[in-house]
Amino acid sequence: MALLDLLLVVGIIAGVYSLLAIGMNMHWGDTGLLNFAHAAFFAVGAYTSAILTTPTPEAGLLAERVVGFDLPVAVGIVAGTVLAAVLGFVIATTSVRLEGDYLAMVTLSSAELVRLVIHNEAWLTTGAQTLKNIPRPMESTVATLPVSYDVFYFLLVWGLVGVCYLLFERMSNGPFGRVLHAIRENDDVALALGKDVTQFKLKSFAIGAGVAGLAGTLWAHYVYAISPVMFLPSITFLIWAAVIIGGAGSYAGAIVGAVVIVLLRQVTRFIPGSVPFSDQMSYLRLMLVGVVLVAVLYYRPEGLLGNAERLQAGTSEGD
Amino acid sequence: MVLDPQFVWNGIVVGSIISVSALGLTLIFGILNFINIAYGDYMATGAYLAFAVNAQMGLPLAVAIAAGVVGMAAGAVLIDKLVFEHFRTSSPVTLLIVSIGIAFFIRNLIRAIWGPSGNFYDVPIEANPNLFGVRYSVEQLSIIVASLLLLTAVYVLLRRTRIGIAMRAASDDRTLTRIRGVDTERLVLYVWIAGGAIAGLGGIMLGLDAQIRPNMGFTALIPIFAATILGGIGDPKGAVAGGFAIGILQEVSVVVVPSEYKFAVALAALIVGLLLRPDGLFGEATR
Repeated sequence: MALLDLLLVVGIIAGVYSLLAIGMNMHWGDTGLLNFAHAAFFAVGAYTSAILTTPTPEAGLLAERVVGFDLPVAVGIVAGTVLAAVLGFVIATTSVRLEGDYLAMVTLSSAELVRLVIHNEAWLTTGAQTLKNIPRPMESTVATLPVSYDVFYFLLVWGLVGVCYLLFERMSNGPFGRVLHAIRENDDVALALGKDVTQFKLKSFAIGAGVAGLAGTLWAHYVYAISPVMFLPSITFLIWAAVIIGGAGSYAGAIVGAVVIVLLRQVTRFIPGSVPFSDQMSYLRLMLVGVVLVAVLYYRPEGLLGNAERLQAGTSEGD
Repeated sequence: MVLDPQFVWNGIVVGSIISVSALGLTLIFGILNFINIAYGDYMATGAYLAFAVNAQMGLPLAVAIAAGVVGMAAGAVLIDKLVFEHFRTSSPVTLLIVSIGIAFFIRNLIRAIWGPSGNFYDVPIEANPNLFGVRYSVEQLSIIVASLLLLTAVYVLLRRTRIGIAMRAASDDRTLTRIRGVDTERLVLYVWIAGGAIAGLGGIMLGLDAQIRPNMGFTALIPIFAATILGGIGDPKGAVAGGFAIGILQEVSVVVVPSEYKFAVALAALIVGLLLRPDGLFGEATR
């Protein structure tokens, strides 16, 4: 039974990461945008929902936060998603006209700025301390059911992953996605066809950021307590690793990549008893992520489920 | 509003560190044409190697600095031989993602060996001397002197030596340089030696000025990126100018913006710089 509980926890984390990877795949896989601000969208989703759904904290010695709205969780989830999309739009307006490398650096810097604001504006976010007591959706209702809360949350998260998968797959194969693919292959061609390239890039950025925000809200409502150190740029890099390992351009690949990354990070939890180097285990796992990422790029550059043809096309602009 | 000379001094110290680090990053970009995300972790490795020699083995700091710089130069070559060499024909984006993998590896290797918490070099602690109302430390003075020496050395290397001239040529047009009979693969080796050594030195400076931590290089990466872009990616002169500009701007900004947000100044400078001068301060960027 313990193993099943553990699997559920890992599965929920994998679902959240899958949503993040779906958003990233819209940016990089579909549109060819180098987005390095994903951690910021994740953070904004999480904090927005947390602030909206928790009550105003009582004044106390350590209570620095003075706002809280105590709204229903559903409102928080929608607001978190929307606000992350707005942030994606704003970051993109400053930088979406930039060439690849420049875009990468500006988005990475913007994400750090967002984290800095969360870290410093304690009146809103409790700052460096943890924002606690984030409510779980429908907790009292689920308590009356014969299943544990984790089962419910697992189904909720993966249900949303499924919905997003179908939605994005449809978008990617529809007229909107075809324009994005044209932009990915060559901006000028899309422009010559009369498409407003900048508008499409902005939309792609906002939509992908929105899903990352949704992932953030689900994360916040699952873990009860969030703090700025959960949203370091390494999250962004892990999601990049997931998209590349799974295969850029494929939404199924993004999900598979996210699951692989989460399993790589959590696998040693399943080894019972004491293991050698147990103190260093978490570092060794992340070293392993690095090795797997490089190995996939070397042996299977298109990723596990990616399309080799797309890879060929994507590099035509490289030199 | 009176500008405290202390802030300017601090700015020069920070600017020296950013300049040196940005120079290494931009040199690597010039020849290899990709952004090395692992660069910050190269810096941290240099700092930790020096820490091992200085604080753990008890040797003098000068020896430790030499060890850190030489060690990281060798490390950069080793990483190239093990990884980057196999991706020579890949697109810049692939290389960037490869460097993310390397960054994960190095940073967590450092954590596994030296632990996640901060460390300090074993330097004598003295009261900071005071000159014309500006407090300075011996470490800060050495940072500035070392950075000036290094910047001069790199200038001479790039302007006066055959290797340096070939490097500049390759940075401008790699194919053309190869056609003219330059062994560009050998240049790649030299640029990793130079870039690795500079990263190591930048990391040690950073550790002397503040603390040695596993993610120290990565956190420093953003002002370094800003300096590199502001100067025009691949332009060494621009990187140095950008480094000092950002360092001084960042420290002086505490007069007007809360000091928690001084890092935001680097970002603002970056975005404004990109909008006004997309090719960098001197307008001769490689792309």
